[in-house]
Order: sequence, then structure tokens, then C-alpha cells
Amino acid sequence: MTVADIWSIMPLVMLAGGSLLLLVFGAVAPGRYCTWAAVVVTIGSALWTIQDPQATLAPTLGVACTPFTRFFTFLFAVSAAVTLLLSIESNERRAIRGEEYPATILFATFGMSVVVSSVNLLTLFLGLEALTFAFYILVAMDLNRAGSAEAGLKYLLLGAVAAAFIAFGIALIYAASGTLAITPALQGVLREGGGNPVALAGWGLLLSGLAFKVSLVPAHLWTPDVYQGGPTPVIAFLSTGSKVAAFAALFLLLPMPGGVGILRTPLWLMAFLSMLVGNLAALRQENIKRMLAYSSIAQMGYVTLAFLTGSAPGHMAAVFYLVAYSAMNLAAFGAIASLAPAEGLETIDDYRGIGYDRPFQAGVLALAMFALAGIPPTAGFTGKFMIFAAAVRGGELPLAIAGILTAAVSIYFYLRVVVSLYLRPAVAPVTADRATFAEGLALAAVGLAILILGIFPSPLLDMIYKVLG
Amino acid sequence: MPNDLYILSLLVFLPIAGCLLLATVCRRSGVARVLALSIGLAELALTVWILIDTPTLPGSVPLPGFFLWEDTAWIERFGIRYTVGMDGISLLMAVLTAFVTVIAMLVSWRGIRERVALHYTLLLVMETGVMGVFLSLDLFLFYLFWEVMLIPMFFLIGIWGHGRHVYSAVKFFLYTLAGSLLMLLAIIGLYLIHGAQSGVYSFALPLLMQTRLATDVSLWLFGAFFIAFAIKIPLFPLHTWLPDAHTDAPTAGSVILAGLLLKTGAYGLIRFGCPLFPEAARTLAPLIATLAVIGIIYGSWIAYAQTDMKRLVAYSSVGHMGFVALGIAAWTPIALSGSVLQMVNHGVTTSALFALVGMLDERADTREIAAFGGLWGKTPIFAFCFLLVAMASAGLPGLNNFTGEFLILAGSFRVIPLAAILAFIGVILPLVYTVRLLQELLFATERRPLQLADLSLREGIVMSGLCAAIVCLGVYPAPFLNLLRAPVMFLTGGR
Repeated sequence: MTVADIWSIMPLVMLAGGSLLLLVFGAVAPGRYCTWAAVVVTIGSALWTIQDPQATLAPTLGVACTPFTRFFTFLFAVSAAVTLLLSIESNERRAIRGEEYPATILFATFGMSVVVSSVNLLTLFLGLEALTFAFYILVAMDLNRAGSAEAGLKYLLLGAVAAAFIAFGIALIYAASGTLAITPALQGVLREGGGNPVALAGWGLLLSGLAFKVSLVPAHLWTPDVYQGGPTPVIAFLSTGSKVAAFAALFLLLPMPGGVGILRTPLWLMAFLSMLVGNLAALRQENIKRMLAYSSIAQMGYVTLAFLTGSAPGHMAAVFYLVAYSAMNLAAFGAIASLAPAEGLETIDDYRGIGYDRPFQAGVLALAMFALAGIPPTAGFTGKFMIFAAAVRGGELPLAIAGILTAAVSIYFYLRVVVSLYLRPAVAPVTADRATFAEGLALAAVGLAILILGIFPSPLLDMIYKVLG
Repeated sequence: MPNDLYILSLLVFLPIAGCLLLATVCRRSGVARVLALSIGLAELALTVWILIDTPTLPGSVPLPGFFLWEDTAWIERFGIRYTVGMDGISLLMAVLTAFVTVIAMLVSWRGIRERVALHYTLLLVMETGVMGVFLSLDLFLFYLFWEVMLIPMFFLIGIWGHGRHVYSAVKFFLYTLAGSLLMLLAIIGLYLIHGAQSGVYSFALPLLMQTRLATDVSLWLFGAFFIAFAIKIPLFPLHTWLPDAHTDAPTAGSVILAGLLLKTGAYGLIRFGCPLFPEAARTLAPLIATLAVIGIIYGSWIAYAQTDMKRLVAYSSVGHMGFVALGIAAWTPIALSGSVLQMVNHGVTTSALFALVGMLDERADTREIAAFGGLWGKTPIFAFCFLLVAMASAGLPGLNNFTGEFLILAGSFRVIPLAAILAFIGVILPLVYTVRLLQELLFATERRPLQLADLSLREGIVMSGLCAAIVCLGVYPAPFLNLLRAPVMFLTGGR
């Protein structure tokens, strides 16, 4: 292990080291300073990923530092920074004190970065588990509310089953192939007609576990309850970083040249059902966080639609949409986190009339709704357009038509939020909180990202093209 | 010289740039109104300047008939370019857009009392969207503006409307967006087929027009485009969003909805639908003509039964746009010129009608025909304007709608005689409900005494502008028809 190796994994070191140092120094510093310190660490990691490292492989550590790694680490670090900025005020309101919160967020970011850096299945599993464990803690962090503990428990129980699936899947793949390294040979087993049944079983289990993390139907049942119960900034990070990390694992395991092979059938079914169930179930929701949970299930269905074509346009569209989706969901949950007082503002009807009293936060929320619905000129529209173009080009016309029809249906429940914000008069005096500087910064950043990625997607597209190779 | 100034991009983006300026003064309604109106008038001046000083494009033109063209790379990886261009058809539409937007701004001067700055901001964003639709020549850019148009209209109806305005706004938004999503699939399909055939992946209209398509594929793709445009025009039976949206919208909203948004549907069919899929359009022309004729007769029939003035005008719009659709279905030079001219005519006439109805609504807080009567004696100037505009809407020769309808009928009689003959009924039916409306409003004795003021100075300016346009288009449409000659000849192949 050389200095160049350590230099190349510096983001991981910074995140993990920062997390541990926060736990030490947090004993003496108030929670607020700890959170700001964590923001600095994440921004530092993000900036580190911009430069080209000398060594791209640290084989003794099981991690590599490829352009793919740096791109996603940057995304995770920025998402973590936005989440931390949103958490400062939200934690004060809900009396979540202490240094454990920012330290755990940093640890979750560390886990996500390990996932995208991994070169063997063991590191991948460790990264996934690090990230999931951090979220078990974070979801249950609000000790004053039973809902949070319940959500944490549900996530823990179901997540443990999913982790067991992933571990067993990895074990079977190891048994069949004799190596833990993530190589194209792993993907090769999916292409042959009657592949090794042990390896195929391993792949099936692995896919099930990852589908749980990405919350694709039928592994989605945890999503609405966990999203409703957990603290909103945590859910913002969970819905974006955690899902993107799990999807990035799929990108690592099924890179472009090989395609998805016989996994196309289960992926097709999962994409179709996610788009269908996610969008239809969201129509009936009154609670805004549950609605966003079902919407995120559907959004992951769209990404899977592009991914399963196994083509270059498909992968590019999937990565672009994951970035756009991160911005949109961070904006939506972020606006909710900054608006909601300690109790209240749970249902969509509670948001009546807020559009005029809190114009900035409501504006970001409305922008996020329009973006999720896929209305120009937002990143959501550009992303959906790329996904459907890639899907039709990859020969998935029926699924693309299903996608467009369900997207049309989804506009209704996104519009409901906008209708509530601007078109309905407030029934009670508005109790929504004003945005603090940190929240304003975070919301402005993601709001701008949604607009800029929608109107000028070319720089990001060129970056993704280089990253995917 | 308009050519050198990137005037098309200026036309499209000036309103939205003005919006950002408005955002800084949004507390004070007076300033907001004046600022927005000055931007609207600047747009109008720009379009009139192009109208008077119509430039010629140096060098070869990608499409015949175009005299302004701007083109830059935008999203290279997908072959999406920012391409805007203007020919005679888009010029008339651009002038109409600027004119109707100014009318809408003046009409809501006193009518809108709360969130004034937001209202005028939405009017400006609307102008950007509609101008973008009329000027874009890249299919992706067109689709982007097509959808952007819907958002300000949704808020205009939803915030300042009356009656079941939230329901109407949501219905309008969802209905139109569903059709647009079908069109998106068709656009992607055409893009991919063209790319597979020629190796060049592009959304540019001149390139896509050269795609060779199998008959059934072209029918499906044209069908998807057609549904999206038919919802907007609106063609029977996809018109059910219109009465609610028009009736429940505030006056400015109705003016823009009827004056501009309906025209974007017809324009889309003329600029994109039919040129991209000529054989499919020819195959489906009888269907389009049938739906158009049904719309003409049905719209006028239902209009007669209305007791709400705004709803009556809304249904009359269905009838008038049926004529426009009939001319497009015929696709002869005369009929197509008549359609485009009728789009301008109807835009002016229906804006005037909604403005007048809005004035009555502001004064008496009701839109029921039964509430008014004897206006000829009480408010003579208003009554005169109303008589003029209503007679124009009914198709009185010498006023604008007659010229358009005459050209459409003359042009379609040669190719679809049955439809043209049935459409003649559509010339008579508007007279029926118009005369009844005039009789009850202007001449009958009123049921309840109402004190109504005559036109104020601002309203007088609005109505004199509209009436002058109506008379001018009716008596001397020749300059406008000359503008249309080159593009129409190219589109119809000079049949």
C-alpha cells in the first residue's frame, strides 16, 4: 500500500476519519457546530474527487478510484452536504441533539462511497452494510416520536433479510466462480443459455437484495412506512443517496458491454410493476411523505427501464436520471423539512395557502413537483425524455408506452401538491417555519440544479459519457 | 434590419427576461402593471417592425418561405439544436401573440386586484411560451415550449378564476398534457427511425421531413401528433376541457386561451403534423374533415342553449376552430391560406368577445344573459362595439371572419365537397345564437334595473384597437394573404 494508494482513496479516509473525529470531539462541542464541521468534511471530499489521482487501484484494500467512483462519490458527498444543511434547523425543532447524527451521516456517505469504489464482492457487501447500518440508526434517531422508532425497526428487520439475501447470493457466486473479484466473467454467466445454476441462484438472490435497497416492486413494502416515520432530512438522504448507491452497485456488476442477459425478465417485471404500483398507489395518498415514497418507487422503475436495455444510451440515461432524481428528491424532502414545524404539516391538505406565505420554500417544493412529473424545462423532463428515447431505441417499446402512460397518471398527484400550495386558501393561520440561511442555501442549490440540468444538460452528459467509458 | 439582431430569440426571451425584472418590484402592483405593459408593447413593436420591414434571408434557406433563421447547437449528444425561424405563417402568429398579450394585460388592469405582479409575470411567461411554439423549428424545442405554455395558464385559471376554477385548471392541464405525452412518444419514434435510416440523429424539421416511413408506422406517428393537436384546437370529441377552462378562467386567461392557445394546435398541425407525414395526413383527411364539420355544427348548436355569456363564446370558439381544421384537412393553397387567416381573425374576434363579456362581468358581477338588457340605450359605445364584434364573429361580409370562412369553403369545395356543403350550415348557425345574444343583451327590456357605466378610456383603447383590426382584416386582408403565399405554396405543393 503506497502513498499514491492512500491519496487515491482520500475521500473515504476523510469521510470515515471525519465521522470518528466527530464522535470524539462531539462530546465537547454543541450539535450545531458538529453538523457544520460535517458539512465541511463532505465538501472537502467532494472537492477531492474533482482531481485526477495517480493510482487508480488499491488492490490490497479492495477498492479502486476510477472516474466512475469519483463521479458518484462527488454526488454522494454533495447530497450529504445538502442533507446536513437541511438537518441543522430540523434537528433543533425535533430535539435531536448530539454529535451522533452528523457522524452517522458521514458514515453513511462513507458506506456509499465504498460501494462505488469496490472491486470485489466483499467490499461491495461491506459498503452496502455500512450504509444500511448507518440508516438504521438515522431513521430511528428521533427519540421523541414513536413513529421514528417504528420506522427504524421496520427498516432494520426487512433490511436484515435483504442483507442476508445479498450475503448468500455473494456466497453462491463465489462458490460457482471461485473468486470474489467483480469481473466481466461474473456477468458472462448470465448470457449463456443454461448457465451454472449455482451462479444463477446467486445472481437472483443478489438482485433481490439490491431490489430491496432500490425499493423496486415487490421489495418496496418498507418504503412508505419508513419514509413517513423517519426524520425528513434523513429520508431525503435515504431516498437519494442510498438508492443511487444500490443502483451504482448494479452498474458495477452489470457494466455496459455485457448487458443484462437473462436478468432482463426479472428487471422488466420489476420496472413495469414499480411504475404501475408506484404511480397508482401514490394517487390515493394523503400524507405527503408517503406520496413521495410511492413516487420514488415509480421513479426507480423508470431508471430500471433505461438500465435494462443494457445499451450505452440506456446507461447514460439511467445515470443522468439518477443525478436529476437526487436533486429533485432532495428539493422535495428538503422543502418539507424546512417548512414542517415539530408537529404538523403531514398531509397534502395541510400545505394549503403556504405558497404565498413562504414563497421561497413553496417555490422549491412546486419546482420539485413539476420536475418529478416530468414537465419542461426541468431536469425531470430531460431525464424522462432520455429514458424513453433509450428504451424505444433498445427495443423496449411496450414498456416505454407503459412508462409514458403511468407518467401521465403521475402528473395528477404531483399537481395536487401545487394545487394545495397555490390554489387553495389557507384554512388556519400558517404555522410553517421560515427558512434559515443553511436551509436556504441547500434549497437554492438543488433548485438551481434542477433548472440548469434541465436546460443545459450537455456538460453533465459529456461527463457521464466519460465516466461510463 | 431585423436580420442582424437575433430578433427571433429576442422575441422569444424578452418577456421572460422582463419577468425577472418584475420579480424585483413585485410588492407594488402599479409598477408591475406598467412594467409588464411596456414589455408587451415592446414585443408588439418588434413584431410590427418585422411585418412592415419583412427581411429576406441572404444565402440558401433550409426551408422555402422562411426569411429569418437562427440556429445554434444545444444538446449535441442527442442532435438537439436551438433552431428558430419565421415565415409568413409564423409572422402572422407572432403579431397575433404580441397583440393578444397586450390586450390581455390591458383587460386585467383593474379586474385583478390581488397578486397583481404574479398575474402579470404569468402573462409574460405565457407570451414566451406561445412565441416559442410559433417560432421553433426543432422538434424537441417545440415540445419544450408546447409544455411550458401550460404552466402559466394552469396558474392563471387556478388562482384568479371563478366557479369551479381549480377543477377546470387541473382538467385543462391533465387533458392537454396527456395528449402531449403521446406526441412525445411519436417524436422519439420519428427521431429514432430517421437516425436508423440516415445515420444522423437529429430533431431538425427539414431533416425529419425527409424520413421515409412505412405506411402503418406513419399512420401511428401522425395519429399521436394529431391527438395532441386535436385536443388543443379543439376538435370534437376532444373538446370537453374547453368550456370549463374558458368559462372559469379570468378574463385575461380566457383571452389568451381562446386567442392564442387554440391556435397553437392548428399551427402545430400545419407546421409539423402534416409536413412530416403527408401520406398519413392525406389518408386521415376525411376523418379530420368529418370531425371539423361535427365540431362546427355541434359547437354552434350547443352555444345557442347557453345562458352564461362566457360559455356561449367558448362553444362558439369550438365552432370557429372547426372551420380552421376544415381548411387544414382540405390542404389546398386557398383553403390553407384561409385557415391561417382565420386563425388570426378568430384570435382577434374572440379576444374582443371575451374582453366585452369581461367588462360586463366586472360591472354587474354576473355573466348570465338574462341579467342584462337594453344596453343599446344605456351604454351606447359598449353596445356598438359589441354589435360590431358579434357580427364579425357571425361572419358578416366586410368584417374579418367572413374572409377567412369564404377562403376555407372555396378552397375545400374542390377536394372535399360534402364537408364544405355541410359546413355551410356552420355559416348560418352562428348567426342564430349571435342574433339571439344581441337581441337579449342590447335591445330587449331588462328584467332588473342595472346601473352600468359605459367604456372607460382604457377599455375604449382596447376596443378601438380590436375593432380597427377586425375591420381592417375584413376589408383589406390582401397584405396578410400575400405574406402567406410562399409558405402555403411550399406546404401544399402548389396543388
